[in-house]
Amino acid sequence: MPLSILIWLPAAAALLGALAPRRGSYPLTGWFAFAGSVGALGITIGEIAGFDPGHSGLTHVTDQLWIAGLGIHYKLGLDGLNLFLVALTAVVSALAIGAANRRRWERPRLFFLYLGLAESAVLGALMAQDLILFVAFFDLMLIPFYFLTGQWGEENRVAATTKLVIYTLVGSLLMLAAAIATGVLVSTNTAHPLSFALSDLQNAGGIGAGAGLSAGSQEWIFLLFAAAFLVKMPAFPLHGWMPDGYRAMPLEALAIFSGVLSKVGAYGFLRIVLPLFPQASVHFQTLMLVIALASILYGSVMAFTQTNTRLILGYSSVAQLGFITLGIFALQPQGAQGAVLQMVNHGLVTLALFLIVGLLAARAAGSVDLRDMGGLALRAPVLSAIFLIVALATLAMPGSSNFVGEFLILLGVFRSKLAIAIVAFTGVVLASVYMLRTLIRAMHNRLGTRAESREIALADALALVPSTLVILGLSFYPQLVLHRSERSTAAAIAAARATAQPSQTARAPLAGASAPQPARTSTLGAGATHSGATR
Amino acid sequence: MTATTFGWLVLLFPLAGTVVLGLGWRSLPGRSAGWIGTAAIAASFACAVVCLAALQSHHPGARQLTSTLWDYAVTVGVDARLSILVDPLAVMMILVVSGISALIHLYSVSYLWSDRGYARFFSYLNFFVFSMLLLVLAGNFLVLIIGWAFVGAASYLLISFWYRRTTATRAGIKAFVINVVGDVGLVLGTYFILKHTGTLDFVKTFNAVPHVFARDDGDLVAGCVLLLVGAFAKSAQIPLHTWLPDAMEGPTPVSALIHAATMVTAGVYLIARLHPLFERAPAAADVGAVIGCLTLVVAATIALAQTDVKRVIAYSTMSQIGYMIMGVSVGAYAAGLFHLMTHAFFKALLFMAAGSLIGAMAGEQSLNRMGGFRRAMPFTYAAFVVGGLALSGVPPFSGFFSKDEILLVTGERGGWHWILYVAGYAGALLTAVYTFRLIFRAFHGEPVKEATELEHGHLAHADHPFNPATGEEEDTDVGFPGPEHHIAERDPPMRLAMGVLAVGALVAGLVQIPKVDFVIDHFLHPSFADSALYEVRTKNGLLAVGLIVGTALGLAGVAIAYRIWVTRPGTAAAIQARLTFVHRLLVNKWYFDELLDLLFVRPGAWMGRFAQQTFERVVVNEALVGGTTGLVRAGSAAVRAAQSGFVRYYAGVLVIGIAAVSLYFLLQS
Repeated sequence: MPLSILIWLPAAAALLGALAPRRGSYPLTGWFAFAGSVGALGITIGEIAGFDPGHSGLTHVTDQLWIAGLGIHYKLGLDGLNLFLVALTAVVSALAIGAANRRRWERPRLFFLYLGLAESAVLGALMAQDLILFVAFFDLMLIPFYFLTGQWGEENRVAATTKLVIYTLVGSLLMLAAAIATGVLVSTNTAHPLSFALSDLQNAGGIGAGAGLSAGSQEWIFLLFAAAFLVKMPAFPLHGWMPDGYRAMPLEALAIFSGVLSKVGAYGFLRIVLPLFPQASVHFQTLMLVIALASILYGSVMAFTQTNTRLILGYSSVAQLGFITLGIFALQPQGAQGAVLQMVNHGLVTLALFLIVGLLAARAAGSVDLRDMGGLALRAPVLSAIFLIVALATLAMPGSSNFVGEFLILLGVFRSKLAIAIVAFTGVVLASVYMLRTLIRAMHNRLGTRAESREIALADALALVPSTLVILGLSFYPQLVLHRSERSTAAAIAAARATAQPSQTARAPLAGASAPQPARTSTLGAGATHSGATR
Repeated sequence: MTATTFGWLVLLFPLAGTVVLGLGWRSLPGRSAGWIGTAAIAASFACAVVCLAALQSHHPGARQLTSTLWDYAVTVGVDARLSILVDPLAVMMILVVSGISALIHLYSVSYLWSDRGYARFFSYLNFFVFSMLLLVLAGNFLVLIIGWAFVGAASYLLISFWYRRTTATRAGIKAFVINVVGDVGLVLGTYFILKHTGTLDFVKTFNAVPHVFARDDGDLVAGCVLLLVGAFAKSAQIPLHTWLPDAMEGPTPVSALIHAATMVTAGVYLIARLHPLFERAPAAADVGAVIGCLTLVVAATIALAQTDVKRVIAYSTMSQIGYMIMGVSVGAYAAGLFHLMTHAFFKALLFMAAGSLIGAMAGEQSLNRMGGFRRAMPFTYAAFVVGGLALSGVPPFSGFFSKDEILLVTGERGGWHWILYVAGYAGALLTAVYTFRLIFRAFHGEPVKEATELEHGHLAHADHPFNPATGEEEDTDVGFPGPEHHIAERDPPMRLAMGVLAVGALVAGLVQIPKVDFVIDHFLHPSFADSALYEVRTKNGLLAVGLIVGTALGLAGVAIAYRIWVTRPGTAAAIQARLTFVHRLLVNKWYFDELLDLLFVRPGAWMGRFAQQTFERVVVNEALVGGTTGLVRAGSAAVRAAQSGFVRYYAGVLVIGIAAVSLYFLLQS
């Protein structure tokens, strides 16, 4: 199936819904948008089921010359790197849009149109295989959120929108300039016709990855891209827009924004920066690792001093995205693999957590402040159990898929920069402090003065339970993601690794990995291996 | 069916119990939740017994079986599968864990009956046992870490079971965070090992160790010390022990479970399981031995001065685990695990008896308020005495044989190990003193009001339940043992559980009597076949000295306690007055809490305040945001433009443009 259908289905359905006649007093836009995102989810599940883990490179490629004179392609493709991020986008959007239908919005047609458009734009950015197309989708996905914040926002929405627009617009413009420079410089240096398709840029003239750009050009272009992506994540110290934005945005929109959009920045590093600017990536490796480490520590420390649950989640995202960046710039296969898995995990828990914050606020007289909560668990054992599971997954307890992600990320960092890995482990401990603190102060201790303990309603559970089940399912079988993304992830960092250690690329990542896969040990009861005799 | 099938079944029953109780909590009438939970663990124990039989049918050289369910994370040089390893060591552990846990479940069936969170309690309890069984059956580092963390999470849930108590939630988060520190140590240690062996699988790791690591290789020692950090956090060894006494906030059966079966013994098991690594890195093993020895002495001194019944027993656990850690670190694997087993019996018994005592006092736990319960509760008294004698190492009770064997092997290592040997015996004397201080203060002397009333058949009930730690009134919505609560003496399930444990505390030591039988030694041998330190001991001289000294010190300790707290009641106060400084040091637990607070908690809180109040406001908001005021102004113009429609128009064009182009290509393709 052409990927264009997958991309545009949510926006088209939302548009259709906006045009559809109203029934009764309230239009049905929301359900149209929901149907569109569920359709996209269905297509994605089909793609995962049919995905061949052994296949390397893109599948379902759509490649048309868009603006011939400028060499801009409308090129889309799916591979192991973006497959699960596409799936994440579909899951998070479908559940968030579904949950948004629980509330009555002012101007519902526009509201859901923006949500549908946002999903389409994110899907486009994830599957774009042309640099300019990526930039266009990247900008497009931000636009709905300017309006969602500005028009449906809560506290202090004008200031929040202003900061959001400025920060992200500056980042986008820098990225646009960098993208154009990349295409032009590569074309000039290699005397090939101008093309922005990633495959052409990466391997211009067939002379090897990154050879189209001098090290000097790579470095300033790298910084421009990095600035745009780090603002988007956000990373310390470029997170100035985050507190206001997170306070203001409607929770359902925030779930998509924080769960999915923040990952596009990290994804951009793997899809664009590392393959196109390998020398610069190696050159700035330490800088990026330090920024990531600072994000982890700063985000964690801030998260356990906040009482606003939205901000706790915001700062915890800063910390979690720090881990993801850390994994990417470890420039080790383990780190990148962990980063891809962790993007999926973090998106899932973020969705669930923001839905929970909405439910908590409904029980604390509309306040999202921890000081107004407390003791909510008593008559809400189901909500309490779900919150517990999600909180434990968020703090990456072993047994959760988040732990596998973190384990791989830190293993990658351990193998490249030992000291940074050891400091980063502080973030693991701090995560348990701020997540448990949030859980305890909301659900346990004495009942808050304005709080009322009430069980989760069935309709609310319809959005929250599926997201929890996805988290649990992935925790039982993270191999689902790892197996399918392994080859593409390795390809994404191959160029940077080749630059970093030209002599070592031939070596296997670990001593044991080069050895032939040992025969799989038997499954349940069917003839156990007797290894004792060989010892 | 093979032994590994039963290994999986051992795990399945508690997990199924957790799920059934977790989902069906609303529709389980009466005590059925308790009986379902107990049955799940009993079934698990039965499977463990069958597993033992199946394993023993193998040739001793082939008693190491692995089995894998599915690939968990097999990628880029990491080979994490869901696999278990069934060998004598694992089987001994699952027998102890499931057996003791089944009795604790049985006890809880009536102990928790009047609590409102009855089904929730058993669901957590089943999960706790499942986690520990997963830990001991793990076939690779990753599954071990998962079980390890699950144990921590389960303990958190149970410690803060009465979650409306702020002291309980605070104790819970403390336990969890310290356990996460341990997890981090475990993960980092695993990285160091994995870096060289290239595998997470235990059997492959053990086979690779002699080839890839030189003796005391730097990375290996670093890895082993980090693994020890994990062991110390879970087993409450200095300086990561401060969570254990606070963990007393949980219901008493939870204390029994944590101390006897499902948690603190994990560190001992870890060192025994990974002995090929530690034997290759003797420097790291020495760290374990020294810390274990330090803990056993320090904890014993603290226990002398505590007045909370459960805390005295908690410190005695720390001390006894110190013996075990020291034992497995010096190579006394069989002895360490033997002590683990006997300790499980008598420690579970002591906690159950303490629960009975606290029940009779209507929730009061302070020794200062107790006294003279001997006649009111003869059964509890007998249980306390049996458990106490076993703990003090008085023959022929079980603790005597196991503790002595650890010290015997330690002494045989010679050299500086003599210091550990002497300290171990000093600790034994202290153990007998503090144990019988507890017993004499609670059961002898003038009967308190509650005791005399109980003799007349009146069970004391608090009118207003209050938190003994803070004095604030309890929020009874969550539920505490309510007005209809029972005491262990009179309730059949509790009595049965205590009776079985008392018999165990009495006779469990008989399986391994020096010069008579070596059941544990022989049974565990296949697990330690590659060990250079595992041997049946020979030096008769040291053996005889140990047996005589051990007996003498145990009896002397009881005698000292009797003299101080029974025959001359004023002595304790006189000693306190004479040694004010020492007394204050012990009452304040050697100031470890304050030290950790000063080193970690306060700097953390300070950094948080600094980040929030200074850095975020001044640097991020003013310098970075305010510094670009011009940009902000321009931005507000942009927002105004959005209001007036310009940006909306622009966005609309962009959207329609891209959509149209896409549609065009869609039709083309």
